[in-house]
Amino acid sequence: MSEVVLLVRDKEVVIPGQPLAKGKIRPGKDVYVDESGTIRSKKLGLVSLKEDEISIVPLVGAYIPKEDDLVIGIVSKVSGNTILVDIRSPYQGALPIQRRAERVDLRKYDLRVGDVILAKVRSFDGASSLILTIDAEGLGKLESGYLLEVDPAKVPRVIGKRQSMLSILKEATRSEIIVANNGRIWVKPPSVKELIALEKALKKIEEESHVSGLSDRISSLLSQELR
Amino acid sequence: MPLYVERKPERLITEEGMRTDGRLPHEMRPIKMMVGVLEKADGSAFVEWGGNRILAAVFGPREVHPKHMVLPDRALIRARYNMAPFSTPERRRPGPDRRSIELSKVIREALKPAIFAENYPGSVIDIFIEVLRSDAGTRVAGINAASLALASAGVAMRGLVSACSIGRVGNFIVVDPNHDEDMWGDSDMPLAMMMESEEITLLQADGTLSEEEFKEALDLGRRAIRFVYEVQKEALKRPYYLVERRVV
Repeated sequence: MSEVVLLVRDKEVVIPGQPLAKGKIRPGKDVYVDESGTIRSKKLGLVSLKEDEISIVPLVGAYIPKEDDLVIGIVSKVSGNTILVDIRSPYQGALPIQRRAERVDLRKYDLRVGDVILAKVRSFDGASSLILTIDAEGLGKLESGYLLEVDPAKVPRVIGKRQSMLSILKEATRSEIIVANNGRIWVKPPSVKELIALEKALKKIEEESHVSGLSDRISSLLSQELR
Repeated sequence: MPLYVERKPERLITEEGMRTDGRLPHEMRPIKMMVGVLEKADGSAFVEWGGNRILAAVFGPREVHPKHMVLPDRALIRARYNMAPFSTPERRRPGPDRRSIELSKVIREALKPAIFAENYPGSVIDIFIEVLRSDAGTRVAGINAASLALASAGVAMRGLVSACSIGRVGNFIVVDPNHDEDMWGDSDMPLAMMMESEEITLLQADGTLSEEEFKEALDLGRRAIRFVYEVQKEALKRPYYLVERRVV
């Protein structure tokens, strides 16, 4: 095949099945190649063009776990030596209790149904077995604070390039914020005023993430809310 | 005495091709589509198609219940087509009946080829289609709504599925049969396609069509579905354009 024929612009909103490009270009994430060699979008999302690669950044979608992801889960069942955790995904997380392992803080495993925990995905086989771990500094039960949610597809927007958006949120609201990959966000603001500002900011990020200049709009929203 | 009596019109189509609702043979009824109408669903759509009012909701991919239905290599796809008791001229007994069970099946099979089920092993994608007001052609309108709801839920798909019905009244092949033509016409052929690849995912036919008539119907159907597809595309992108316009 010869030259690249682009059928869309960078950052354009595309729908599933929409043709994106033909010719010498690498298919990236969330695209597929049909029988005729045309690269098409798999999802509703934004086109992302990078040198020799074309991919789609989804605008919505469920959370599909990956190894080493940070997730915030809610304990749904405690039985024997496993704790089952809902992580807002098609797959339920399992947290094995390692009673005999060394250097494990057993107090961390004193969990009840309804507890909110920060965990890491230790292994995931892509279908049914999703093992979590809380054996690391900073992981474990989250206490005092609020749990907010955004669409899992918007998590990269909430964090921003080199954490730019997250630091705007943290500085403006003087809050502790933990953004997990599954779209759950734990916040600990100094007062209700900051909590409301954070909620509004997250809603704005969800709605407007496909329009450029988001950081500026979030900054001005926060300064307006916290005046 | 029944409260509602169906009356067959004297004729379904004039020699000039004027139909009972004033349309010409190749004309469709007005269509309106929107997405994101339900807060709690992962994806949703509302379709107004002539007198039809159809709501579609998609949940998933999510955990499968009951557990024994899990498919280890791909997502389970379930669809439910349901008519509201008030959707018909006379009260319809609520709950699934023979017709809606069959329609659930054909709709599921019309949508299945469009979904990358292998991307979500061990999960389920639930599709709900609720007919709030029915006026002939609810299955095709339902497919259009469900396909929009799937896309708006962020499910990986090969393309949107678009659908339209084609009928025959006397010597005329008519696009998008209305209630009268559905009841007393000579043939009714619902058709669903993935427009981007022109693959047919649903083709049913009631009544009789000669080979030439079938070819004409298929060709007309393809043109009608292309139009429906454009409406769907616009409906999916509209919310994002609206935000862009408000912000910039």
